[in-house]
Amino acid sequence: MRAEELKGHLDALLLASLEEGPRHGYAVIEALRQATGGRLDLPTGTIYPALRRLETAGLISGSWSIVAGRRRRDYRLTPAGTRALSGKRSDWRDFAAMISAALESRPCPEPA
Amino acid sequence: MPGTSLIAGYLTVLSAQLPAHIVEELADGLEQTRQHYLEQGLDPDAAAGAALAEFGRPDVIVAAFTRVSPPRRAARRLLTAGPAVGACWGTALITSRAWTWPVPDAARLLFGAVLMTVIGLLAAAAFGSHYRSVGRAGAAACVGITVLDAAMLVIVIVALPAVSWPLILAMTASTARIACTARTLRAVLTG
Repeated sequence: MRAEELKGHLDALLLASLEEGPRHGYAVIEALRQATGGRLDLPTGTIYPALRRLETAGLISGSWSIVAGRRRRDYRLTPAGTRALSGKRSDWRDFAAMISAALESRPCPEPA
Repeated sequence: MPGTSLIAGYLTVLSAQLPAHIVEELADGLEQTRQHYLEQGLDPDAAAGAALAEFGRPDVIVAAFTRVSPPRRAARRLLTAGPAVGACWGTALITSRAWTWPVPDAARLLFGAVLMTVIGLLAAAAFGSHYRSVGRAGAAACVGITVLDAAMLVIVIVALPAVSWPLILAMTASTARIACTARTLRAVLTG
């Protein structure tokens, strides 16, 4: 899947990847890769700006650590990020149900 | 070490355009990606090349960081709010006959020149493509707009005997803008 197809969903994916606990940028990318069976084709370098954007928005928080002599930035969900993830999940379920109903010519279920 | 010179060159390109803390984070990610490919059996040069290919072109990374940089976001907010604040002041200045205020012509000219400069800086920060120049323009614009707002408040408070409702509205708008800009100023100044 290409980056442009993910437009609008990247934030939710990044937030979801941090739900299990703090992760650094590379671990976030690995988690996304594993979660999607390796089907995501994102330029890795653009994940880091997206993490910064979420941090500026207060949805995740970052902290530095030193690993193998290198500075590493770990990110974790903030309470606002947890709420945002919940909302994005709900929105996605409604959206997916609506599109599936339209594509498969069946009645659209009521939103949750 | 083979392969590391490729990565060092890539990081040098990024270092010329991005702050050190961002490059450090990218360097850590690149090294982990390189290690991942080494563990998959690639030779050092191929592992470095694969890691760089996975990260993408430096100009794309710089552009992505520029789009989310605090100065860019602050500049866009100020440009969005600018017409509303300007309309408040325009109404206030006309209804209170600002041309009769006891303000020297030189001060009026200086204010106008600074205002034009700040608008130019905001545009440069909001639409520029170079991280560092966006940062400098955004920081200067935030300071400039705060000075202009503060100057208008001082002029009204010191020079005018009576304050009308339009002036109170304009002063409230400027005060709110000063407060919002001050809240983001640290992030803007540190990039």
